[in-house]
Amino acid sequence: MNNIKEITKEVKETADRFPRHEERILKGNYAASEAAKLCRVGFIPAYPITPQTTIVEDLSDKVGKGELDAEYVNMDSEHSVFAAAMGAALTGERVFTATAGQGLFYAHEVLHAIAHYRLPMVVCNVGRPSIPWNIWSDQTDSLAQRDTGWVQFYGESSQEVLDSVIQAYIIAERLELPVFVVLDAFYQSHTSENVWVPEQSLVDEFLPPKDRRNYEIDVEHPKAVGGLVQPEHYGKFNFKYWEALQKVEDLTNEIGKEFGEHFGREYQAVEAVNIGPETKTVLVTISSITTTARGVIRNHSDVGLLKLRLFHPFPKKSVLKAVESLSDDVAFVAVERNFMGDKSGAIKQELERAFYGERTNPIYDVYTGHGGKDVPPRTIEKIIYRIKNNPKEFTWIDIE
Amino acid sequence: MQPAMDFLIKEEKVFSGGLSCRGCGWSLLVRHLSSILGENTVYVVPASCFSIIAGPYPLNELRGSVVHTIFAAAPATATGIRHALDRQGKKDANVVILAGDGGTFDIGFQSMSGAASRGENLIYIVNNNGAYMNTGIQTSTATPYGAVTTTNPQSNYKKTWPKDLMGIVGAHNIPYAATASLAFMQDYRRKIQRAKEMEGFRLLMIDGPCPPGHKVDPSQSIAVSRLAVETKMFPLFEIERQQYTVNYIPEKFVPVEECMRPQGRFRHLFKPENKQILQDVQKHTDKYWERLLAMEKLTHELNIFED
Amino acid sequence: MLEIRGHARGGQGMVTAFEILAKIFSKLGDYHVQSFPAFGVERTGAPIQAFLRVAKGEIYNRSNVYNPHLIVVFDESLLEQVPVFDGLRESGSVLLNTERSLENFKDKAESVFTVPATKISLEKGLGSKSLPIVNAAMIGAIIKLIDADIDIAKAVVAANVPVKPEANAEASEIAYNSIIGLGESELKLHEFLNTTKIEENPVDEDFLKSVGEPEIDKFSEPYWSQPMSLNKTGNWRVLTPEYTTKLAPCSSNCPAGTDVREFIKLSGEGKFEDAVEIIYKHNPFPAVCGRVCPHFCEQACNRNELDDGVNIGAVERFLGDRFRNTLPEKTPIRYEEKIGVIGGGPAGLTAALQLRRRGYDVTVFEAAPQAGGMMRTGIPKFRLPDVVLDEEIERIRREGVKIVTDKKMKISDLEDEFAAAIVAVGSHIGSKMHVENEDQIIDGIDFLYDFKLKGDKYGIEKGDEIAIIGGGNTAIDVARTALRLGAVPTIYYRRTSNEMPAIAHEVDEAIAEGVKIEFLTAPVGVTGSDKNFTVTMTKMELGEPDESGRRRPMPVQGSEYEIKANKVIAAIGQRFDEFVFDGNKVEPAQGKMNLDSKIPVFCAGDMAWGGTVTEAIGSGNKVSDEVHAYFRSLPYSHEENHPNVVMPVDINFTYYMPTPRINNIVKYDIDLYDNFDEVVEGLKEEEIVKETSRCMHCGECFSCGNCYNYCPDAAIHIDDGGRLRIDYDYCKGCGICVQECPCSAMTFNLKEVVYE
Repeated sequence: MNNIKEITKEVKETADRFPRHEERILKGNYAASEAAKLCRVGFIPAYPITPQTTIVEDLSDKVGKGELDAEYVNMDSEHSVFAAAMGAALTGERVFTATAGQGLFYAHEVLHAIAHYRLPMVVCNVGRPSIPWNIWSDQTDSLAQRDTGWVQFYGESSQEVLDSVIQAYIIAERLELPVFVVLDAFYQSHTSENVWVPEQSLVDEFLPPKDRRNYEIDVEHPKAVGGLVQPEHYGKFNFKYWEALQKVEDLTNEIGKEFGEHFGREYQAVEAVNIGPETKTVLVTISSITTTARGVIRNHSDVGLLKLRLFHPFPKKSVLKAVESLSDDVAFVAVERNFMGDKSGAIKQELERAFYGERTNPIYDVYTGHGGKDVPPRTIEKIIYRIKNNPKEFTWIDIE
Repeated sequence: MQPAMDFLIKEEKVFSGGLSCRGCGWSLLVRHLSSILGENTVYVVPASCFSIIAGPYPLNELRGSVVHTIFAAAPATATGIRHALDRQGKKDANVVILAGDGGTFDIGFQSMSGAASRGENLIYIVNNNGAYMNTGIQTSTATPYGAVTTTNPQSNYKKTWPKDLMGIVGAHNIPYAATASLAFMQDYRRKIQRAKEMEGFRLLMIDGPCPPGHKVDPSQSIAVSRLAVETKMFPLFEIERQQYTVNYIPEKFVPVEECMRPQGRFRHLFKPENKQILQDVQKHTDKYWERLLAMEKLTHELNIFED
Repeated sequence: MLEIRGHARGGQGMVTAFEILAKIFSKLGDYHVQSFPAFGVERTGAPIQAFLRVAKGEIYNRSNVYNPHLIVVFDESLLEQVPVFDGLRESGSVLLNTERSLENFKDKAESVFTVPATKISLEKGLGSKSLPIVNAAMIGAIIKLIDADIDIAKAVVAANVPVKPEANAEASEIAYNSIIGLGESELKLHEFLNTTKIEENPVDEDFLKSVGEPEIDKFSEPYWSQPMSLNKTGNWRVLTPEYTTKLAPCSSNCPAGTDVREFIKLSGEGKFEDAVEIIYKHNPFPAVCGRVCPHFCEQACNRNELDDGVNIGAVERFLGDRFRNTLPEKTPIRYEEKIGVIGGGPAGLTAALQLRRRGYDVTVFEAAPQAGGMMRTGIPKFRLPDVVLDEEIERIRREGVKIVTDKKMKISDLEDEFAAAIVAVGSHIGSKMHVENEDQIIDGIDFLYDFKLKGDKYGIEKGDEIAIIGGGNTAIDVARTALRLGAVPTIYYRRTSNEMPAIAHEVDEAIAEGVKIEFLTAPVGVTGSDKNFTVTMTKMELGEPDESGRRRPMPVQGSEYEIKANKVIAAIGQRFDEFVFDGNKVEPAQGKMNLDSKIPVFCAGDMAWGGTVTEAIGSGNKVSDEVHAYFRSLPYSHEENHPNVVMPVDINFTYYMPTPRINNIVKYDIDLYDNFDEVVEGLKEEEIVKETSRCMHCGECFSCGNCYNYCPDAAIHIDDGGRLRIDYDYCKGCGICVQECPCSAMTFNLKEVVYE
């Protein structure tokens, strides 16, 4: 019982670190649902799928208890979930939902429609791969949606998921684009960890209520949405959409900075760790592997880490800036917890595109962690060892 | 000459210039529908002929909001719209799905069933013209037995019966489901009005004339629709919370041939060697009609369906 | 390389035609071909394009054809609607499907050819009138223009059309031989076809140099709200619906020429005065005709197909009775020609009135003490009360017609005073039966005349058995009169009830009153006198139809039998009195007669044709027109033309509910002895209005709104005048309005509409 005072003191200190926050121990999925609540989402279409299910369960609970004033609808499939999300967003509501793997693949058609309707919304995807059945961590599902036109953020921690959801709504609503915030299955979704949950008022100050633009259905001012567009006009729509996508990277950095000023935690599109004059190798990661890599490279002064928080549209400018001090012989290692049905993984593909005409560094592709295969520090060590001693353009670590 | 004051449409809620074929059922049914529902309506349109008819960029055929959506999930899109409107205090706005038979019987079936089961406050209009007409006459599960489509050409005419959508829909225990025919316009309009006044999931299935798809002269659209009802091939009835009511009992027996003969899609059935098929269609039609009357009797005699 | 661009409507077969052409070229030689369509999302009727490229070598272009060597127009109506001639090369040609002369298109291109492909296709049974499928014919024409082998083309056509291969191949060949405008140009096309020279792309310099910001208008978001009506779909139309007023059978069938539909409509609206004026225009005797006319209008009424014809007679009678003692206006005399009319029956009086209305001074001479002709002398009071006839004749007099009675005149009596004579003496002489002892038989016509005007009963007493020979109205009237004198009349008629010329309801009434009728029997001889007669009858049977169309009665050999009667009255037909022609033998016929007389003589009425009051009125109308035309040197023709009469097949009966006809009440249950009160009662005002609502308005829009309600394209509206109008900017010509028009007040024709 003596400890209680001390514990309370500690809590108070941490609270002081992030004023107007409450420190809680939350699983990633609950950080996501907590974020949706803080963002005062108005419409949640839901459909269960492992490992996302607890997000929609928790939201159901919050709505049921009256903690969140939202329309919560149990849909008949992910396809319908996204179609309903589309309808509500089109009618001006702040929409949230979550999905994973097969569900995301199933909704693929609708993702295009939502994006091309230019509908702002934020959806959490908890990554898992396709058939043969597998429910564990993998980023193939979300990375395969790269060309649907959705903005994609990958969260490293539960805290980052919560914070990214808040920032994502600002980006989505300002640019009229849909945004994914992607979590790793289990290593994040079901991992309880420290999360500083901001007070509602703090979020309210940062994230204004959803304003109405021109695109919403307005029964007083009827219009048609999304009908047939003839060949002579179709390109115009894509052009407008393309223009908006060009603004995502800068806005991500801008909002991340503002978020830091407001909440005390700053974010950027990319994060460079231990990149400096000594760097010989740079690991390029997304999501939870980043954390393990952070740990491992503490023992490797010549290994840097480039974390991609914004994956799509690819933050080319930020990446080039983060590594501008490095010489062209530094090895870049793309750590791929994905399989794109191609020779290269998603990260290598994007890096190559970003470097083209800009840098000539070798880029090595390492496939690891597929279908939830654990990526412990020793795997990272092995990657570093292999790149230093026997670099190959493509390496499959886990199946050796 | 005095203008008669009992024209059905008092105020036009569609614009002329829609891209329907000559004699199209879609345009006509929407014209009457919109005149009753008014401008405070959001029409949700999955892929169908109507997604073309309703107006390409930058035009809108309807004096109302139109949302074009994916083929498989119009009721889901409508669900999102409905909940958003409710949240915004616009409970009086109608949200209406305008789908074809392919979009309802087939690809949109699950989404429709989902919305019906949830009791979404939506009006669902099925224009059943018995095939995928927008893509050029391909077989759907609503295609009548014996009909020729491009995916069941000539002697490979469709050899399965269309599914009993109304039975299935009715089994969702929704407040209102009804069939309607454009040849029985007053009945159709009454049903729209009735649907409008109710809450919950309401579905109207209209026998949709399609001159190019049925191979019928456009001027005969209404005449053939009328024959469909008179031959009992398309009976007019309502289902309220599983209780059946037949709205029109033809006075005299009209054989199914009368309705099929003007339709080119059935032309091959009039060859002597296909006589049996016509008899089968007659038999099936009669059986379905008897079943319908039996359902009406049963569900009215048993009070369990009354509220 | 040869580039061809086609313009057609969706559904006419152009896309198939271009594909077949591609196949033909591949057979004609070592050609590379490319054919493809460009269409919108609309289907049948909307303007579309198709392209064809043919070259000796590889074709290095997969885009649309913008600068064709040949433009082919499959549908003439597109010329006004689509810029079909855009981009035609300087030396290019145009092929049009039209029957119009080349002169109309001379300014369009250097060389224009025409081919009547629609005509050829329809003759070959390809497609329908609303959408003829002209592809085979157009292929044939194109083959001619490029000077290629038609036999190969025919074979490919036959092998590639979905139906009717032979008819299609023949259509190609006929078109091949039917091109108008042939000259040098086809050779040029052939040159383009075979050249391997690399052509320059005709590109606009300004286009190449133009650089700018992307052109994003305010609508470049995936939502929009401009009205669909910006899109005019009227150019899809091939057949054009129109509101057309057609003749109703009631009107066209009225011998008097009355616009029956119109007076029924006005009566239904309660506008009785307007309604009766419609009748008076052609018929001064509505109160009479409403009672005694067999109602040709009702017989022709399309409603008979549904339940029963409208009781038009009752409406006519109602109107006639209501207005028969009103004061009409008198027209001033405008012309110096005086007209004399011999015969004061319906024909003479009508002719006189019509000419008087036109401004002629007219005098009618009537032999009987009172005017009215057969209406006066032949129709008993229980069918036509005197007051009705008197008042309607009085109206004629008030309009200025002079009527002189008790004056039996001949033509020669008129020659000095009058500029023309109209002879309308009717048929008042009973026909003979040509049986033995005929002088003992009473003439029916005489009997009716003498009884009605003089009260002469011809000795008929209560209980007498009366044998009446005949089957016409006279026979019936005689029988019913005899019945009222207390006698027991029996009618003997040589045919069956089906052939009876008497008005059907009169027959029914007579039977109901107690008149007996025996059919298929005819007298052979009569013996006896005074009140004691034996008539020998023979049974008859019906043989082949005679010139009247009725089956000829033939005596049954050995079937003679005798009947007893106190009186025998013959009513087997009438003829005219030759006295009027000064005893000359004349064959009277309607209109101006070929007589050797000082003044022109015109003939009308029963003596000319007909046999009913209404026919006599019609005859009087006609003769008045002819007399007026004669004096005023106006064209006049006896020919009648009734086009577009609405027949039952034109009516959409779906929209009419069976509704019982309101019949006149007939008083049967009273003691008829010495009772000459009118038998048939008229209808009351509310009954009249109700009964007129049964009118189906054949051939005239009654604003039911079906066209409006059923128009899929919302292309029908109500104009400021409250009339339904078609908006041809949007009407696609589906024809639903025409089909669903209950009363056939619309037409659907292959023509362009002249905008109002």
